[in-house]
Amino acid sequence: MKRIERWLACAMILVLAGCASLQPVATEPPPPPRNEAVIALLDVSRSQSSAGKLDMAGASLERALRIEPQNPELWQELARVRLQQRQYREAENFAAKANILAGTDMHLRAENWRIIGQARTSLGDYQGAQAAFEHAEGE
Amino acid sequence: MAKRKRQKLNKKLILPLVALAGLLAALVFTLYLDSVVRERFEGKRWELPARVYARPLELYPGLKLTPAQMISELSMLGYREMPEPREPGTFRLRGQVLELVSRPFVFGDGPQPSVSLGIRFANGQVQELVERAKNSALGLVRLEPILIGGIYPGKNEDRVLVKFEEVPQHLIDALIAVEDRRFYSHHGIDPKGIARALFATASGSVQGGSTLTQQLAKNFFLTPKRTIRRKLTEMLMALLIELHYSKEEILEAYINEVYLGQDGNRAIHGFGLASSYFFDKPLTYLGLADTALLAGMLKGPSFYNPRSQPQRALERRNLVLAIMAREGFISAQQFALNKSAPLGVIDRPPRGTSPHPAFLGLVHRQLQRDYRDADLRSEGLQIFTTLDPQVQLAAERALTAQLAQLEQSYKQPPDSLQAAILVTSTQNAEVQAVVGARDPRSKGFNRALDARRPIGSLVKPVVYLTALQQPHSYTLATMVDDTPLVYAQSGTTDWTPENYDHQFHGQVMLRDGLIHSYNVSTARLGLEVGVAKVLANLRRLGVERKVPEFASSLLGANEFSPLEVTQVYQTLAGGGFRTPLRAIREVLTAEGISLQRYPLNIEQVVDPAPLFLLTKTMQDVVREGTARRLGNYLPADLEIAGKTGTSDGFRDSWFAGFTGDRLGVVWIGRDDNESSGLTGASGAMTIWGRMMASLDLTPLLVPEGGNIERVWIDQASGLRSAADCPGAIALPFIAGSAPEQAVPCARDSDKKSHKTWFERIFGR
Repeated sequence: MKRIERWLACAMILVLAGCASLQPVATEPPPPPRNEAVIALLDVSRSQSSAGKLDMAGASLERALRIEPQNPELWQELARVRLQQRQYREAENFAAKANILAGTDMHLRAENWRIIGQARTSLGDYQGAQAAFEHAEGE
Repeated sequence: MAKRKRQKLNKKLILPLVALAGLLAALVFTLYLDSVVRERFEGKRWELPARVYARPLELYPGLKLTPAQMISELSMLGYREMPEPREPGTFRLRGQVLELVSRPFVFGDGPQPSVSLGIRFANGQVQELVERAKNSALGLVRLEPILIGGIYPGKNEDRVLVKFEEVPQHLIDALIAVEDRRFYSHHGIDPKGIARALFATASGSVQGGSTLTQQLAKNFFLTPKRTIRRKLTEMLMALLIELHYSKEEILEAYINEVYLGQDGNRAIHGFGLASSYFFDKPLTYLGLADTALLAGMLKGPSFYNPRSQPQRALERRNLVLAIMAREGFISAQQFALNKSAPLGVIDRPPRGTSPHPAFLGLVHRQLQRDYRDADLRSEGLQIFTTLDPQVQLAAERALTAQLAQLEQSYKQPPDSLQAAILVTSTQNAEVQAVVGARDPRSKGFNRALDARRPIGSLVKPVVYLTALQQPHSYTLATMVDDTPLVYAQSGTTDWTPENYDHQFHGQVMLRDGLIHSYNVSTARLGLEVGVAKVLANLRRLGVERKVPEFASSLLGANEFSPLEVTQVYQTLAGGGFRTPLRAIREVLTAEGISLQRYPLNIEQVVDPAPLFLLTKTMQDVVREGTARRLGNYLPADLEIAGKTGTSDGFRDSWFAGFTGDRLGVVWIGRDDNESSGLTGASGAMTIWGRMMASLDLTPLLVPEGGNIERVWIDQASGLRSAADCPGAIALPFIAGSAPEQAVPCARDSDKKSHKTWFERIFGR
């Protein structure tokens, strides 16, 4: 959670600093744009999550994803919600999706691998979990 | 004497006995009527159709939306333009600033109050959102969703039942002012009204004198006979109704029951259906003048029919308005404003009660997996769908306009072509639009869901993906043989696929087979990797049924519906994650309690690296291959990935393509399976282009992942080349799979002889 908030704050600053005007490199997707509505929905989702309203937290994240469908952070957050919902396969898939969209963001990727590791552990796939945690270290 | 006495006694007894029998009969009759009343009433009351909503529009700074698009959205919501918007459901546009008052609405995540909103537009975007009352900026506002239809009780498909809360107050006021002024004070019959009616009848004019309750009772009988006995029965029933039910319930039943017109052999019962029939709007959205018109028609639905008797209807409407003003229901100003309003009746009645029956068909099908049909038709469920009205309208318009033009250009008989369209969101698989026929409103055969047709070359991406998933055997630069092929199988005639241009192209790079849609090299490649493997991949991508395996499956001989094709391409567009196509987000009960959410779920079924190679090549299909004329409709920087498809004898014309945010699949063909005269590029692709050109699109940037490298390749040999050599291109490879062998940098002249050398060896 903390990491995301930090990441979020950094991204905001970057956007404010005019980072958004950077031309995207042809081979890499551009950094996800920051949008107030998305930030607001992320907040809503987190408070729903901590109130145990996981279904609603997921719904809020889906609303945010409709605004920024390629935002890896939203996919990762959805993975986290699924983890809390004990839907481990789903969690793993969402984290994998976040990984593909994360580009070169090491922190985000490492966190995705940790989620995958936790999901696999819960599924009893200890070897797979081990591999995922190693990925997380390697990022 | 005794005899006489007995007779006397009998006479004495007969009267009370008769009276008793009469009383008993009356009691039995009353009880019978009571049961009739209750049965009719309860039946009507509980049969609430499911109501189906489009996606709500989410407004936020940065949203791409023009004032014109916003106005179109508001008019679908039935908002009215007002000099000063104060009431919910009104707006005003001044240049780039739009002010509106939203309606309160209960969503799955809770009730949302009405908000008075100012929206400032700039450069085709929402620039700023302000809550006018507090003068504070807002980050996100969700408008209430557009009602797009209902799922109605089967036996009377054409009744649009409305709940009391949905009935505009103006309608209730008009009914009470004109039909039954003492409605709220009488007990079903109104002696004053009857006296007035008798007096009026005696003095020559005909007046009803029936209360609304009596009129409702009358409507419960099928025959409109006018006898004293019927009248008395009606009054008795009215009293019984008042005994059992509240005034609100009686009004609700009345509004849903009364006869308001005739459409051929279909009777228009209830204001809900009348609203759709005359205005093509839900009753909730009708304004004062509209409701006055409908209320006025009660007196004589055919005499005051606004379509056949517009002048008479207008006068009647204005009389109703005048009575409403006289009775104090509306102000003098409202009267003046509304009596000069046009009739507002649409010229031709809409075919069905939903403007988008094909989408509703998909919703209904998905609901049937989880709900009993009877519940859908009677429990008043609220269905929140994914339909995007802007996309749906774009699809309908492009299809209608382009089909007529294609028939003309390709000398096809008018109205011979049929078509289907599906548009989805690439990342979450929400279905944004469905068109199932050339007339988007026709309720018949839903081709988007139910027409299974050979998909032709639309299957090719799956063949190439299957090959690219074996990077040690196949890369984009692998040379594939495009010379005559005879495939012999015992028991069937030999299969000898041909290319569209009836030429063979010798040795081609694997990617060229897809870019130019070569049949022969694709067939050879597919036979090498195995038909079974290709079809297994097709299932993995999203085809749920088992289909027969032929060699010709590799060229799209199998028949799929546009919906099935969309599911397959959805997985490609969604980065290799399979997500069941979703038309429903959530189902609420009539009271607004969440029954079921349909959450987003994804499953990774294709590795990102081979999918990256495939998607890049599908972008080349649009850039330089069979779909290059898409450039006539859309700018190159959208980097669209797509594939054309044409079945044997031009029977089916297909196009499937995606941007960063939207996937569209278009099919054109004829119901009688005759030739459409169209290829995928000349037919379906033009509808796709026209449709997408009117939408806001995000470029397709395919995430590359870590294990892709780019290597310069000589196109003639498929071998490594130095950078920027003539005839060389940089191609992506899965790390370690690029060819090791290199050819020297060819000058232009060498290049030419090189090619002829290849042609000499491998045929033409």
